[in-house]
Amino acid sequence: MRSTSVRAGRWTLLRWLGRTFLGLAVVATIAFVALVAGLAYLLAHASWQSIRTFGFGFLTGTTWDPIHNIYGAAPAIAGTLITSGLALLFAVPISLGVAIFLAEIAPRWVRRPLAYAVDLSAAIPSVVYGFWAYIVLVPLMRTTVEPALARWSGGRFPFSSTPIGYDLLTATLVLTIMILPTISALSREALLAVPRIHRESALSLGATRWEATRIGVLKSARGGITAGVVLGLGRALGETIAVTMVIGNIFILPNSLFSEGATLASWIVDTFPDATPGIDRSAVLELALILLIITFAINGVARWLLRRGRNPDDDGAPPHRSWWDRLRARRTRAPSLPTAELDPLGPEPWRARAAERAASRRRRRRAVQAAVVGLTAFCLLLALAPFASVIATAVERGGSLVIQPSFYTSLPPIGCNPHPGVTCQVGGIGPEIQGTLIMLGLGALVAMPGGLLIGICLAEYGRGRLARVVSLLADVMTGVPTIILGVFVFTFFLYADHDATLSALSGGVGLGVLMLPITARATEEALGTVPAAVRESALALGFPRHRVTLRVALKSSRAVLVTGLLLAASRAAGDTAVLLLTAGGSSFYFHSLDTETAAITPFIFDNFGSNYQNLQAAAWGAALVLLIIMLVIGLSARLAVAARADAAEATG
Amino acid sequence: MSGESAKLRAVGLNAWYGRRQALYDVSLDIPTGQVTAIVGPSGCGKSTFLRCLNRLHEEVPRARTSGQILLDGEDLMRQDPVTVRFRVGMVFQKPSPFPHTSIYDNVAAGLRLMGVRRRDELDQGVVRALMLAGLWEEVEDKIDAPGEGLSGGQQQRLCIARALAVEPEVLLMDEPCSALDPIATHRIETLIQSLKGRFTVVVVTHNLFQARRVSESTAFFYLGKLVEFGPTATIFESPREKLTENYVTGRFG
Ligand SMILES: Nc1ncnc2c1ncn2[C@@H]1O[C@H](COP(=O)(O)OP(=O)(O)O)[C@@H](O)[C@H]1O
Ligand SMILES: [Mg+2]
Repeated sequence: MRSTSVRAGRWTLLRWLGRTFLGLAVVATIAFVALVAGLAYLLAHASWQSIRTFGFGFLTGTTWDPIHNIYGAAPAIAGTLITSGLALLFAVPISLGVAIFLAEIAPRWVRRPLAYAVDLSAAIPSVVYGFWAYIVLVPLMRTTVEPALARWSGGRFPFSSTPIGYDLLTATLVLTIMILPTISALSREALLAVPRIHRESALSLGATRWEATRIGVLKSARGGITAGVVLGLGRALGETIAVTMVIGNIFILPNSLFSEGATLASWIVDTFPDATPGIDRSAVLELALILLIITFAINGVARWLLRRGRNPDDDGAPPHRSWWDRLRARRTRAPSLPTAELDPLGPEPWRARAAERAASRRRRRRAVQAAVVGLTAFCLLLALAPFASVIATAVERGGSLVIQPSFYTSLPPIGCNPHPGVTCQVGGIGPEIQGTLIMLGLGALVAMPGGLLIGICLAEYGRGRLARVVSLLADVMTGVPTIILGVFVFTFFLYADHDATLSALSGGVGLGVLMLPITARATEEALGTVPAAVRESALALGFPRHRVTLRVALKSSRAVLVTGLLLAASRAAGDTAVLLLTAGGSSFYFHSLDTETAAITPFIFDNFGSNYQNLQAAAWGAALVLLIIMLVIGLSARLAVAARADAAEATG
Repeated sequence: MSGESAKLRAVGLNAWYGRRQALYDVSLDIPTGQVTAIVGPSGCGKSTFLRCLNRLHEEVPRARTSGQILLDGEDLMRQDPVTVRFRVGMVFQKPSPFPHTSIYDNVAAGLRLMGVRRRDELDQGVVRALMLAGLWEEVEDKIDAPGEGLSGGQQQRLCIARALAVEPEVLLMDEPCSALDPIATHRIETLIQSLKGRFTVVVVTHNLFQARRVSESTAFFYLGKLVEFGPTATIFESPREKLTENYVTGRFG
């Protein structure tokens, strides 16, 4: 008797815990939706003054004059569209080449390592790309590429005006380099997802490898490839720090690709910190609102496309006809197929002719195949060259610093250039490392449990339309430019307390907001890798749902989950824009939560162009430290996920 | 069966997936212009054998073979795979028209690879292949609709038409009816029989009745080995091997 009642008591307690847990997860998810809504509302509210004052004229106005309070966004919008559009134009063909090479052409044993290298180049922080571009790309453009272009075009549009290196063209190239990995990776995945049978059907008709790709694979993959391209566009439109470092940041309507300019994001970084309250700040906030709307829409489209493409296998499902197919079917007139004049069973002299030409045709097809191999391999080379150069530059300039233990504990050096009789301090980035860790910890304190709960809610309890929408929202949020998150958190703190200043606390909140959607999606995906059989057999044994989730599912997806969380943290640690607008800067160790605090990425951003050699060297040391952390985390994450997939393949 | 009339000859063929061996020392003569059936319990290597015959096996990562396969007396492992596959076509288990591609373009794909460009020539080739596959009447007025919109059986006949359009010498079919209903199956069996004489057909099936109905010769595979090969009537009525007898009388499989 007694034992049963104790048992019953235990079950009640467990059920209560389970319900509380479920409740918490739902609350966290609702809070997340509220956060996103709050972000949009706050930006709209804070820019209302500007919207009301300038109306649509804001979009077409060409001056930014805080003294006479005249504001127009046209130069920034133009700069954004030109650089992103051109970057897409360059990046798409190269990315397709990379994807085709990695999915269809390269020898099997090099595919994975090369694909990892491409993926990892996406993990390089924006500020490091910018720093590299400042040191390597800008001089190259100024002294070699741009003069050559100017000579070649005879100084005509769009290569008019004097090449200076800090201009739209350089910014475009930086963007190209930065979105290449994104588009390549998604296109490659899309190609790999095409069922093998289409490739083999084409091969069985006597197609070469490239012909099989062309007729059997590319069409199937086009949804995923489109999604990758759109996602790449989203990244380009929102890319902030690297562009800011090379575009010159001058608010003029560009009349040449060699002209300095600004983008929405770069202009926000440049003006927001010093904007005075009132119409000035409101105008900058309106820029942020415009950027938010654009990137939100673009990312929404991309993610929606990706999800549609990833739908479960199409066995027995009605054929999917895209609007494009339907349009084309309507456009192509019905073929003039034989009625009376053509006898389908008559002699076929053309067959004999084709057979005669087969040998020479065969040579041509072989040449095309070889050309495609060469071309796609060249694309890969193009994609990996900047990656290699970034690492080489960082190692060359920061390598000697990062091997000194004191680099991790010293204060940054006093700026100094060596000349006879003077030795400069080397210094270190102790406060920056400490500050980054503190703010990362603060952010993680909220984002990790929050993101876990949201992810669990989405993966375990949400099969309905609402959950899918929230999941999509989280995906879209991971693509919103971080500069907007920075603007949001800064404004939020101001609304809460008019005397609020930049601080470790707001920096932590900023990083938390950045990590939250990434963590949530990482959790959802990790739980998605739990084999249904594991889950179902646990349920069949009579475990209640929440215990299956907590014990079985979380445990079995532990490795993937941990790497997902690490990736989220590494993205936060590598982000500059948020901390620039929320944490400020300092040259000393952490003082208190409500004072400005140092961090690694803002330190690099503040010193990349320093006239003092030792400060710039310290910035390179900091960049190398970041690079090493990113690459180690990124690589181990990929290896963990791959190990998991291999294991699933071996058992399933 | 004399070697003279063999379109395809496997001589001491072994095949592996990584370290796992799937075929052991298979020697088999496939007679010209006839339908040869390959039967055996699932996992015995039927598909692997078939895929060796047009060198698709090597497309699987870490797969390899040893031994010889002679096409008209010449070792096809020493030839260009593209040429081999042009002469030896294949139809798969799952109907698989090219995605987002019209019926016409599906059938024309192989012709275009051959270099046929003129519209009237393409038209003739496409219509002829569709007629051979017995699909022409059904798709005559929706030739520009996507192939995926057809029924399963129609899709499979479309795949057969696609393979036949380039007039291969050999047509390999890997369980072409296993995803289809009885009526569609019947149509394809009739179609296979109508191909006799003009093409050499090798059809894998685990439907013994089908093997009896459509084939002149039958090969029985078991655990990666060829157990017995001979005229279909002999295999089914008076097999030499006990194992074959057990299988064809339905005692296992
Ligand atoms: N892609 C592959 N990788 C590894 N092993 C395979 C692969 N395909 C088939 N096999 C193995 O080879 C053997 C023969 O397979 P298969 O030729 O497909 O048999 P069947 O077609 O007769 O059912 C089976 O044991 C199968 O497990
Ligand atoms: Mg099979």
